[in-house]
Amino acid sequence: MRKIFLILIIVATAATSNAQYAGYTAIADFAKFKLAFAAATQKTTSIKSDFTQEKNLSMLSEKIVSKGKFWYKKESQVRMEYTQPFLYLMILNKDKVFVKDGQKENKVSTKSNKMFKQINQIMIDCMQGTALNNPNFQTRVFENKNTSLVELTPVTKGLKELFKLINVVVDKKDFSVTSIQMQEQSGDNTILRFTNKELNATIADALFFIK
Amino acid sequence: MLPLPMRYFLLSSCLFIISCSPAYKKMQVGAGNAAVLAKFKPNFTVALYNTKVDVVGNHLSGLLIIKKMPDSSTRMVFSNEIGFKFFDFEFAPNGDFKVYSIIKQMNKKSVLKTLRKDFELILMEHLENKEVSVRTKDGLMYYIFPQQKGYNFYITDSTGDNLIRMERASKRKTVVEATMHNYINGIPDTIDIQHKTFNFTIGLKRIER
Repeated sequence: MRKIFLILIIVATAATSNAQYAGYTAIADFAKFKLAFAAATQKTTSIKSDFTQEKNLSMLSEKIVSKGKFWYKKESQVRMEYTQPFLYLMILNKDKVFVKDGQKENKVSTKSNKMFKQINQIMIDCMQGTALNNPNFQTRVFENKNTSLVELTPVTKGLKELFKLINVVVDKKDFSVTSIQMQEQSGDNTILRFTNKELNATIADALFFIK
Repeated sequence: MLPLPMRYFLLSSCLFIISCSPAYKKMQVGAGNAAVLAKFKPNFTVALYNTKVDVVGNHLSGLLIIKKMPDSSTRMVFSNEIGFKFFDFEFAPNGDFKVYSIIKQMNKKSVLKTLRKDFELILMEHLENKEVSVRTKDGLMYYIFPQQKGYNFYITDSTGDNLIRMERASKRKTVVEATMHNYINGIPDTIDIQHKTFNFTIGLKRIER
């Protein structure tokens, strides 16, 4: 009887560790993918897109949807402007963060604010394709016909407290990010979906200016 | 004639006694019915609020969702605009309070106690079953509910048609003042909670989804 239990546990563990995503299969050559990803993101100097954010609260069976505009400019400048159903602006520029909610403006340094440091790191890592080299995550990559799914599992304590895992879906043709899904330990998650993407458009530096 | 130090001692003792007596004892006994409060109890089936918190010079903003669950408990989840969760609380129908999650920086006994009491004041749960005394002052009706420590006041106009404000008070002074305005389908559009003993305010403005 004990042997049967043992076998069941081993099978269950193996099944979990090989858990994949519907419609996706694990990529055969991780090193090749990494090179292709790095080469493509190297060519991307800027991204302009719309975004939809979906916060799913599992136990409440509730979904909070917000929308806005997104801008990224190399090396590490991000602007997210939420326009619905509330107004909120966040600018990430190197190690500085600027947020504006309503009339209130706030400037923080990622050096002193852990939460914004993580947001900054995840955003930039995803846009630059450096997520694959980030030692704070264990990485697995899956693919289907049109997209690749990069599964990032946090290995450091601070990140583990925030996320169970982060799934980044990239378009196979240009490796641009299609969605970022952040799963919390509680079962809740936040999905950012990027649409109407424009790569390498001219974006004024003024958009990322922090006084 | 008493010597000056003795007179000073007696005078300061009297002032001390007066200042220590509960504020409501200085009010007149009123003849109101606490049942008038039922219509002000927010009917949080599910409501999303744009939330601004200012605490001793620090500003925090985000979204607070309040939902009545099938088991009659009320859940409150506060996250920032980007989706990072600050806390997830449950207020059970029997008065129990459960913390599902809270960020490390807020996970302090005093913070939890303050937030619990502030939100319990506005939830107005089971007031109909609680001990209440009614007082009047300046044309207003004070419905006073004794708590484990201190009191919760619900203050209406003389007719009981409008909830002027709510207060949490110690025996000596008002600790918190709160207001709920513009009810739409039983859910207030605006909720403000203001602490009187230190710089701490919570402002909620309902978001239509």
